[in-house]
Amino acid sequence: MNGSILFDDVRKVYRWRGLRRGGDTVKGAFFHRRFGRGRSTLEQHVALDGVDLEVEPGETVAMIGPNGSGKSTLLKLAGGILRPTTGTVTTVGRVTALIELGAGFHPEITGRENVVINGMLLGLSRTEVERRIPQIVEFAGLGTFIDQPVKTYSSGMHVRLGFAVAVAVDPDILLIDEVLAVGDEIFVRRCLDRLAWMRQRGVTMVLVSHDLDLVSHFADRAVYLNRGRVVVDGPSDSAVARYRNDVAGEENVADDAARGVRVVEEGRRWGNGDVELVEVFCTSNGVRQKLLPSGAVCTVHLRYRVHRPVDDVVIGVAWHRVNGGLVGGHNTDVDGVSPRRLTGDGEVRCVYQVLDLAPGDYLIDAAVHARDGLAYDYFCDATRLRITAAVPWPGVWAPHHRWEGEGPEWE
Amino acid sequence: MTVLRLLWRHRALVDVLVRRELTARYRSSLLGFFWSLLNPLLLLTVYAVVFTLIFQPRFPGGDPYPLFLFSGLLPWLFFSGAAIDSSVTLVDNGPLLAKVMCPPEIFPAITVLSHLVHHVLALPVLLAALVVSAMAGWYPFPWTFVLLPVALVPWVLLAGGTSFAVSALAVHFRDLRDLLGHLLNLLFFASPIIYSLDGLELPSALQATLMLNPLAPLVTVFRDCAFTGRVSSPGIWAAAFGFSLLAWWAGTRLFDRYRDTLVEAV
Repeated sequence: MNGSILFDDVRKVYRWRGLRRGGDTVKGAFFHRRFGRGRSTLEQHVALDGVDLEVEPGETVAMIGPNGSGKSTLLKLAGGILRPTTGTVTTVGRVTALIELGAGFHPEITGRENVVINGMLLGLSRTEVERRIPQIVEFAGLGTFIDQPVKTYSSGMHVRLGFAVAVAVDPDILLIDEVLAVGDEIFVRRCLDRLAWMRQRGVTMVLVSHDLDLVSHFADRAVYLNRGRVVVDGPSDSAVARYRNDVAGEENVADDAARGVRVVEEGRRWGNGDVELVEVFCTSNGVRQKLLPSGAVCTVHLRYRVHRPVDDVVIGVAWHRVNGGLVGGHNTDVDGVSPRRLTGDGEVRCVYQVLDLAPGDYLIDAAVHARDGLAYDYFCDATRLRITAAVPWPGVWAPHHRWEGEGPEWE
Repeated sequence: MTVLRLLWRHRALVDVLVRRELTARYRSSLLGFFWSLLNPLLLLTVYAVVFTLIFQPRFPGGDPYPLFLFSGLLPWLFFSGAAIDSSVTLVDNGPLLAKVMCPPEIFPAITVLSHLVHHVLALPVLLAALVVSAMAGWYPFPWTFVLLPVALVPWVLLAGGTSFAVSALAVHFRDLRDLLGHLLNLLFFASPIIYSLDGLELPSALQATLMLNPLAPLVTVFRDCAFTGRVSSPGIWAAAFGFSLLAWWAGTRLFDRYRDTLVEAV
């Protein structure tokens, strides 16, 4: 399995005709070459504007952003359904696009015949599809309905069959557009289970979703698009956090207009600046540290400056591996200790009695934000810490532990 | 040529989609596939009744008129049916184009091929009618019938070129769908289908105009094989092939020009 996607400075412009004027007719089309240049009855909409994106084999990347931000266009370009206006899209491997489940099923013919056609459209040969039909029917839970015309199906059956065909194709790249929003809970769970299984097998996935919890759980990486441009491309939690912040910011747009949103260091740090994180660092036993042995005492210090007093405050810390995986995160709200009000400058500390992380490099995000997600200062990668250990423990957790038991003879 | 190569590469898909078109069409009708045979048979019966018992059009070379008419009408029905269906084929298959991804060329091709299947299934009816009238001594059997596959080639090329052009244009200019029926109607009466050019008494200017109709050689070639029983002159064959190749070339070129914007427009 090695499916990869590369977008190089991709721009997609939709053009459509405005009000019909003289000459813009069938005849006009025939003679377009000669006479039609430069006529401005064309209206256009820039769906994607200079997008660079690389999806590595086996990666799961989520596209998030408001409606009309270009997510679906991006997916359709990756699927080869649309072509970029300028720039290039390169994909390696077999691509299956789940843009609308069961799209293109013909109502008059049976589920089985439709499966054959859809499977062939997705790139299988006829015999390959037929070999997979039992498996498809099983997954869709259709039973004998498979030999009935599709018009007799319930919408749930329709969707299940569509999903079953698409995943049975064994793609190298799977593109998923919000399809998990349909169907009942059991179906969604089965789909997610199936997707997780495919992901383990190394299928590259790009999904578009408005379900931000799903995105942070499921995707390694998220790309936050707005108005056809990439705003953040990074670990899914930070991209989701940034998106949540912007959504919350838009809801308070009247306030923000007065204050002016201040975004520092595009992509890594954002917020309106009411509270600013001046310094974030780690200490152990009162000494600043960039390097600590596993299991040491550790304190993360967040020094802040208040530019405008705020009543709604959550202070949080999140730990990441350098490669993007979330290790853990906690904030004052979840821990039930939220400060009531920030008026003057100060420092908040998060104390770890035993920092039993596995050896490696860790990034620490620090944030001060409101309960609805509106960031005062969200600072990704605010500081770093290297953990060392005598034993190169794998993973992220290296707790103190011992082995015991009555059966074996211990050395 | 690139279109043909593309269709050949997707031949398995084209095959199942043509089958889908045919089965979906007759699904849930009682007689099912027999309609392909029954339709032309009933049509022929109606013409036979109307034009032997009610009207009796007489002109040289036009006797017996039901057979004369039928031999001109069959390829026309193939061509016009394909042209009309191709004006909606891309829109109807929009979900496949926009959501599943497949080459748009296959849809006009499927339209033409499924109409070709209907046409080929109607030919035995014509053949049977010719055999019956030969046995009854009304009309000598035209042995040129064996040349029919060759005479069909320009019709397929013409229908193909037209379908490519119409399908792509109809996506961008939806008015074409309404206009098309009238254009075809005009073309129908301008072509020597219900009459023959030899048997027509017309002002010579109009006669000359009708001769210019590019469809005339195609009708003539087909009817000469299927009814008159003579091999058309090389000039007419050349005109039929020349015009149909031109139509194919223009149609596929036009389709190519609109290809990239089709998905957005459907």
